[in-house]
Amino acid sequence: MGYLYLEEKDFAAFVDALIAAKRVVGPTAKRNKFVYEQLASADELRLDFDVTILPPKKVFFPPAQDIVRFGEQAIEGCIAPVDTVLLGVHFYDVKGIDMTDYLFRERKEDWNYLAQREATTVVASNIQAISPRAFWDSVGAEVKPKGHDAFLTKLAGGCVLETLTPKGEALAAFGAFRDATADEINAAQQTNDSVMGQCSEKLGYTSEAIAAKVRDSFDNEELWDELAMDCFSCGSCNTVCPTCYCFDVKDAWNLNQVSGSRTRYWDACLTREFAAVTMAGGDKENFRERHQSRFRHRFMRKTAYLNEKLGGPACTGCGRCSQACTVNIADPVRVITAIMEVGS
Amino acid sequence: MSDDLRAAHENIFLPREARILHTARPTASEKHFTLQMADGEPLDYVPGQILEVGVMGYGEIPIGLASSPTRKGSFDIVVRTVGRVSTAINSKEVGDSLWVRGPLGHGFDLDSLKGQDVLIVAGGIGLCPTRSLIQYILDRRDEFGRFLLFYGARDPLQLLFTEDRVEWRASKEIDYHETVDRADVTWTGNVGVITTLFHKTTHLDPNTRVVICGPPVMFEFVIKELDQLGIARENIFVDLERRMKCGVGKCGHCQINDKYCCIDGPVFTFAAIQELEEAI
Repeated sequence: MGYLYLEEKDFAAFVDALIAAKRVVGPTAKRNKFVYEQLASADELRLDFDVTILPPKKVFFPPAQDIVRFGEQAIEGCIAPVDTVLLGVHFYDVKGIDMTDYLFRERKEDWNYLAQREATTVVASNIQAISPRAFWDSVGAEVKPKGHDAFLTKLAGGCVLETLTPKGEALAAFGAFRDATADEINAAQQTNDSVMGQCSEKLGYTSEAIAAKVRDSFDNEELWDELAMDCFSCGSCNTVCPTCYCFDVKDAWNLNQVSGSRTRYWDACLTREFAAVTMAGGDKENFRERHQSRFRHRFMRKTAYLNEKLGGPACTGCGRCSQACTVNIADPVRVITAIMEVGS
Repeated sequence: MSDDLRAAHENIFLPREARILHTARPTASEKHFTLQMADGEPLDYVPGQILEVGVMGYGEIPIGLASSPTRKGSFDIVVRTVGRVSTAINSKEVGDSLWVRGPLGHGFDLDSLKGQDVLIVAGGIGLCPTRSLIQYILDRRDEFGRFLLFYGARDPLQLLFTEDRVEWRASKEIDYHETVDRADVTWTGNVGVITTLFHKTTHLDPNTRVVICGPPVMFEFVIKELDQLGIARENIFVDLERRMKCGVGKCGHCQINDKYCCIDGPVFTFAAIQELEEAI
């Protein structure tokens, strides 16, 4: 593991060589936003992205994924990982991937996620543009980005590739890399340090203080009613979150009406029926019937409930929920700050 | 992925085939199945554990095992027809198959019940998952102290396990009491909510272990009674119902705070969940 350097003129050839050998997924422009897509050529890669619409979790945990296929007699699993390079992941999304890795691995390993995760080389990249709603420099400082295989930092004239695992080292064979000099390594470090403190939104409290106060606010119904007042229960905040991993499972028949598949789909705890159970006579027992309860549940999950497991909050500060929220109420900075200011 | 690697990693969503040996229709909406794994493997479980039971092409639902592991060779489930999946399951007959995953979840902590007086309070379909424990205690009667069962249903037509109830009423091994919320002309037994049964028996020892399973509305009233009897909350076991969609602690639907009902439960001590918001 070490530091390599690639001249800017050789970068496109490196990416094209990877594309020729593997599936390469990276940030690319879509209208005026960015998305992770499989790349057809190096020209499509936009490492100057600020944030993508959906987080990179979709590479391992697709919005729709078959988990069992069935025929008339037999059933089979459908775990079929593809050798993939995920190229261009900001550090806050590296944290998100590491959290979903933990959650799909803990207690009962879910190889429908883990197989594709293990078949993927994750290449982090430095932040060249900052999303207007991001606050990744003021949330969860105790959670260190880990689990990625390499870290790419763009400098004037070239880039430094820090290799962290054997999978990361294997990337070197695809480009005209040389060992990086001490100056180049320092310059890369400075480049990454310099973005910290640049986000326009900020959380002014420690994770511990937030977790304690948010938990204490559970029964403050007036506060949650106010914070969640305009919520449409649309679940957009869940859909774009790098650490949301809930799913629904549905069966569907093929046209022959004999075979079919059992498929999991992203689900969202903000939606009305998420915690509802059908009872006798078709009545529903909904364990979080009010939208305020669902809104509160999400904030509890992101700031308090999982902290012990994950070593810090399950919020990475990407700001996607703030941007995606139809009525602009999901912003964690707004909600957490309001809770922290109660009684002070 | 190579075949070796594929085989090495169990797909936690892959169900196994279970053949239907016997069925019964105890009520208009419930169907009682006796099942056996198609591969002949015994199902190794603890009372209180659940199965994800499904029909391919329709889906899966969480169902508590309704027979005791002491009764080898087959296992029972009772399914109430309420939605698409349960309707598909209840259309199956002897000779058909169901597809099951499990046993899943955390069942009754038998060690903390052994040597103790045990009271089971079951409301409605809550008798099904507790029947596993009832049979277990009756099969190993010497290992437990006094054994009481309170069972309540909405009306006489909803009462389950007629043959069992005839046996329980006659048995000296179990102090059995039942009630209905609303009587009909045939009913000569107790009428009233389940808590009225606390006055039908002799005093309960405060060390009694109590198991509660039933509709959420029932818990609160039963626990009030237990508080008056001085029964400690760590000796109260609750069998919770949630939308346990995946059964393996991933999909999120049954989250209670940082717990998953499907993997940390469905059986919890009341002491463990009374501080958890939204638990009951």
